[in-house]
Amino acid sequence: MIVRLALIVLAPVLAVFAVAGATAATAPDTSDPLADQRAFQAYFTDKFPDVKKSDFANGPYAVNAGMRKQWEEIMAFPPYDFALDEGRTAFETPFANGRTYADCFPNGGIGIRQNYPYFDTKTAQVVTLDGAINACRTAHGEKPLPYSTGMMASITAFMSETSRDKPFNIVIPDDPKAKAAYEAGKQFFYTRRGQLNFSCASCHAGAAGARMRGDVLAPGLGILAAFPIYRSDWGSMGTIDRRFTTCSAQMRSVPLPPQAEAYRNLEYFLAYMSNGIPISGPGTRP
Amino acid sequence: MKCMMIAGCLLLVQPAMAATQQDAEGTLAKAVSAEAEADRLGNRWVPTETALKAAQTALAAQKWNEAQDQAAEALALALRSIEQSHEQATAWRDAVVR
Repeated sequence: MIVRLALIVLAPVLAVFAVAGATAATAPDTSDPLADQRAFQAYFTDKFPDVKKSDFANGPYAVNAGMRKQWEEIMAFPPYDFALDEGRTAFETPFANGRTYADCFPNGGIGIRQNYPYFDTKTAQVVTLDGAINACRTAHGEKPLPYSTGMMASITAFMSETSRDKPFNIVIPDDPKAKAAYEAGKQFFYTRRGQLNFSCASCHAGAAGARMRGDVLAPGLGILAAFPIYRSDWGSMGTIDRRFTTCSAQMRSVPLPPQAEAYRNLEYFLAYMSNGIPISGPGTRP
Repeated sequence: MKCMMIAGCLLLVQPAMAATQQDAEGTLAKAVSAEAEADRLGNRWVPTETALKAAQTALAAQKWNEAQDQAAEALALALRSIEQSHEQATAWRDAVVR
C-alpha cells in the first residue's frame, strides 16, 4: 500500500522528466494569436527542416520515412473508401422534409471544411463542422448523430474530401469572446493533466516525431488536417472528438463528452495554428 | 537488549490494524469529496474513478480492509489531481511555444 501510494505521488514527477516539454521560459500574459501562429509554425519547420510545410498535413508520415513507405502502400487501397461512399450517399439523401445537408452550408457544403471550426459571434461559441452537421439535422427534424464514429465520420469524410488541398483558413474575429475561446483552447493544449502528467503539447510539440512505444507522435502543426481518420488501432473511422477522448484516456484523464466546449476551443486553437496547411482528409493512421 | 529486538521484530511482522466499517466509510467520504473538487477543476483522473468504484464495491461486500485501502488510494489520487490543477493554472504558460 505504501509503495503504491508513493508511486502515485511520484508518477507525475517522473513523467515530467520522461517527456520533454516545449520551450520553457516565462511567457508574457498577453494574447496575440497571429504571433502565436507564427511561432508555432516556425517551431515545427525548424524542428523538421527537411519537411515541406504543406506535408505537415500528413502527420507522422511527414516525419518518419519508414512509416511513410508503409502508408504509401496502404493508400493503394485506402481503408476509408467505404466511409467516403457512405458519406456521399448520406450527404445527398434528402431528410424526411425533403431538404438536404447542402441547404445548411455555404456553397452547398462542398469545399468548405478548411473554414471550420469558426467562432459564431451570435452564440459566442466555437462551431465545428461536426456540430454544424448535427445542427443541420435537428433544424430539419432529424435526430443528431453520435459524434465519435459511424455516420458522422462518414459525412465529414465526404465533406473533407471535397476540400482536399485547400489550406486551413480559420478566422478569429475582432471579438473579445472569440479571443477568449482561442485562449481557452491554447491553455487546454499546454496544460498537463491526468495521472501521467502529460499535456497535448508534451507529445505533439516537445516530443513530436519521437516514438511513444509503437507510435510515432504526430507534430501539432497540421494535426487536424487529415480528420476524420481510419485508425488501424480502432479498426474503424473516427472523428476529432474520438481522437481527443482517446488521447485524454491515454493520459489517464477522464475524457470530456464529445463537443464539450473545452474540446471545441482546443480544435479552434489547433486549426488556427495550422492556417495555410492543406486539408488532407479523410486520412489513415496506424 | 535481546528482548527489545524480539519486541521490535514482532512489531514489524504484526499485521496492520483491521479497518472498521466506520474507517472505510470515513475515508471514502473524503475521497468522494476530493474527487468532486477535481471534477469542478475539470481534472478527474481515470485511476481515481477506478479506485472509488473498487472501494464502493468492497464496502458493499463488507470487506472493510479492502474498502479502506481503495478509498485511501482514491483519496491520494484525487488530492494529487487537485494539486496538479492548481500548479497548472499558471505553469502552462511556461510551456507555450514562442
